[in-house]
Amino acid sequence: MKILVAVKRVAALEEDFEIRDDGRDVDPDFLNFDLNEWDDYSLETAVQIKEAAGDGVEVVAVTVGPDDADEVLRKCLAKGADRALRVWDDALEEADPIAIARVLAAVAQKEKPDLLLAGTQSSDHGHAATGIALSALLDWPHAAVVAALDFKPGSATALVQRELEGGLLQSVEVQTPAVLTIQLGINTPRYASLRGIKQAASRPIETATPQELGVADDALGAAGSHSRVRRMYVPEKGRAQMIEGSAAEKAARLIQIIREATGA
Amino acid sequence: MDTAQLTAGAFDPTKVTRILFEGFSLPAVTFFYLAGIAALAVFAHGCWVEIRKYRRGAADPASATMLWQRFKGMVGAVLSHRTIERRDKAAGHAHRLIFFGFAVLFIGTATITLDYDITAKLFGWRFWYGDFYLWFSLFCDVAGLALTVGLIYMMARRGWLKPPKLDYARPDREPGDKDYDRRGYRIEDWAFLWTLIGIAVTGFVLEAARLVWLQERPEVWTLRWWSPVGALLAEVFRGAGLSADGASALRGGLWWFHGLIALAFIALIPRTKVKHIFTASGSLMMRDPLAAQRLPRADPEAKTVGYSKITDFTWKHLLNLDACTKCGRCHEACPARAAGAPLSPRDVILSLREFANEALEKKDLPEEAKLSVHGKDVGQVFMETLWSCRTCMACVEICPVAVEHVPIIVQLRRKLVEDGDMDPLLTKTLQTIHKTGNSFGESKRKRPAWTKSLPFTIKDARKEPVELLWFVGDYASFDPRNQKVTQAFARLLHGAGVDFGILYDGESNAGNDVRRVGEEGLYELLAENNVALLQKSSFKRIVTTDPHSFNTIKNEYPEFGGKYEIVHYTQLLTEMLNDGRLKLDRPLGYRTTYHDPCHLGRFNKEFDAPRALIEAVGCELVDMARSRDNSFCCGAGGGRIWVPDPVGKEKPAQIRMREAAAIEGLQVFAVACPKDLTMFEDALKTTGHEGRFVVRELIELIEECMAPAIPATAEEPQEPVPA
Repeated sequence: MKILVAVKRVAALEEDFEIRDDGRDVDPDFLNFDLNEWDDYSLETAVQIKEAAGDGVEVVAVTVGPDDADEVLRKCLAKGADRALRVWDDALEEADPIAIARVLAAVAQKEKPDLLLAGTQSSDHGHAATGIALSALLDWPHAAVVAALDFKPGSATALVQRELEGGLLQSVEVQTPAVLTIQLGINTPRYASLRGIKQAASRPIETATPQELGVADDALGAAGSHSRVRRMYVPEKGRAQMIEGSAAEKAARLIQIIREATGA
Repeated sequence: MDTAQLTAGAFDPTKVTRILFEGFSLPAVTFFYLAGIAALAVFAHGCWVEIRKYRRGAADPASATMLWQRFKGMVGAVLSHRTIERRDKAAGHAHRLIFFGFAVLFIGTATITLDYDITAKLFGWRFWYGDFYLWFSLFCDVAGLALTVGLIYMMARRGWLKPPKLDYARPDREPGDKDYDRRGYRIEDWAFLWTLIGIAVTGFVLEAARLVWLQERPEVWTLRWWSPVGALLAEVFRGAGLSADGASALRGGLWWFHGLIALAFIALIPRTKVKHIFTASGSLMMRDPLAAQRLPRADPEAKTVGYSKITDFTWKHLLNLDACTKCGRCHEACPARAAGAPLSPRDVILSLREFANEALEKKDLPEEAKLSVHGKDVGQVFMETLWSCRTCMACVEICPVAVEHVPIIVQLRRKLVEDGDMDPLLTKTLQTIHKTGNSFGESKRKRPAWTKSLPFTIKDARKEPVELLWFVGDYASFDPRNQKVTQAFARLLHGAGVDFGILYDGESNAGNDVRRVGEEGLYELLAENNVALLQKSSFKRIVTTDPHSFNTIKNEYPEFGGKYEIVHYTQLLTEMLNDGRLKLDRPLGYRTTYHDPCHLGRFNKEFDAPRALIEAVGCELVDMARSRDNSFCCGAGGGRIWVPDPVGKEKPAQIRMREAAAIEGLQVFAVACPKDLTMFEDALKTTGHEGRFVVRELIELIEECMAPAIPATAEEPQEPVPA
């Protein structure tokens, strides 16, 4: 019995930051990195299933990212993951969520987990796409925004509660293997003590390249992506204004603003 | 005194001695000896059981060092009774009477045994006669009287005075809980007192009965006043019509009563509170003067961390548990207990003692699962109890027998941290500190932001040598209110021409409170980062305004390779005042009280420098009842500043504010710690004392004292505010 947990090292902005020279991302000097908050919950979900079962459940954390991403895998190991796997090739640099999902799908095909957990979304880019794309690529059933999970190792189905808009919950029975994207609040993620993280540093992190997993070169990075970031910027603020004057003056000013905005 | 004058009778005064077994048959004497041997055997077995219990604890490598010095320290503490009489003179005096009375009587009895059973039987040499015997009698009589008087006071104390600290009601258990009831202890306390006083009083009555019985013998009757208490009692007995025969009968019966309870007392020493004679002395001998200031390191490679099972405790901490005499001084001093938290240091120690006795006194160790001291069962320590502690060291400071409550609590917390059993807010704070190096969750880059508004640039101590390296600390760097004080201190140093610098964004949280939370791994990371940076910088000594940083850099960084000379700013400014670099010329004249920060005062014994500064700024200092080493924690220590106290209960800082408010005409509540400023300004508002007096950092008073006179603003207490 195996649970694969897909995790991501996400970036958080410092209060003051600058945009990279090419204008397509934030200057990494102004970023702090950490394990994606949603992934913290999905890892906890997996570890709790393992602890409840007592024995025979293996939790494998996997990420797609460069060397630096090891730190989040170490955190996963400290929190109870049995193995950690990192896949990377520089060609993945420009990958969109679909291209990332393709690599993760290759990992899943090799690892053959009974359950694949991902965060509902990532806190930095927020596509909320990787998990769902993964289920499509694997042709596995999925449930998104999972707020509660009832799954016994060995069972052919998992019972999940999905969080809908307006405070509604939807109870869904999903056949396994399945991809579940986990919502915040499903549990209380445990604290990874620094001691635990340090001890995890001596445990191996398996690495692989997409090529080794059988993903074709032209399916990686920009080549394998359907979307591309053009520009990252801070929108101008303070555009609202109060128009003063008589009704006629206000109307005239309004027409002027509309013309400016539409370029007419 | 010349004994010949007193003893003008028909006997040789140099041969005089006392009867021992006169009138007893051989079987009776034999029975007594057998009882004595049995008592000693039970005693020895009890000692063995206790020693085996301690040996089941973990090793304590530090305990084997400086044994002679430790021994001298212990003897000094025991003989002087200085730890016992602190904050309770009457109990100290009474204990001194009991201790010396008991000790002299014990030595007296041992002397008789030495003479009668050893030197006389082995070498035919006797010394217990003549002048020696007479002085011996006098000594023992006075000792017996001292013992009795001391015991009577202690009985009156328990029975009538009833100091609150002797109330064993537990704040960490509910009435009805199995281990809520401490009746067993109360029964034992009284049994102890009654047994001892029974031995003492029957001793005197026996003495008097012997005098009346043997009144015809001139060497007995003529010399009776060498046993003044017995002689006086004998007069009373004779006056009441007791005959020599009656006295003989009384002596016969009472002798056995006295002898057998004395033997029972000895036999039961290791199994009752009497064992504190040994355990308290042992604990005092193993006393670590830096127990709370420099917490024990944890082996990062070890499989477990902190105290999880009772066998994880060092043998010394197991001995600590047995040393506790339930005197309640820690219970009384604890700010968490005073604020109604489910913690009393005494009850933590007693709970663990009961747990250790249950688990470790049997022949075989119970299975591992039964050794865990964490949990909700009888004898186990609750998580909420451990998290209530502010590590203020009030308990360790006042403990007369050197129990190390704080290190024990932190060791227990380490296990909780490892398991993530803590308040989610604390978890968040620890994660934040790991990520950003500060508890405010601000970017590292913003640490020196407070320097920007200064009209001068502070040197970067990482880049150029400085005389004085200022370790700023989190609260002084990031908290907006404290930043004003930080800037004032910078102006002060700059104005006095001091060559100083800071570490800018390189500095991390010093780790003092992280370590006291029990997150040892994170502490190590912080300490190592700071030490690495300090090693690369060139400076003569360090200064800080933060007593927490001060403590860990001074006492704990040396174990991480960072040995530095560090001063608190109050010490630096006192120095500058003395050598004329700091000039204060406008006496402020405020009626001021001063709150000793735990980490500066109690931890590092600096009480005078801040007071010298208050005097220097021309303020009238009125100390609160709890000051100096008895200062009452603001409640922020041990990481508690990151976790709000429960609503609806009075917080330690509020209790402190009310204490200060009782000072008539108080204008300024002075502090010398960034966390104190935050805690007490808040408490000033919430206790409704705002407007009556103000909370000020000493630095602010000094700056005010140096500034040209400015008109008072509304909140400045230029004039005493009517209460």
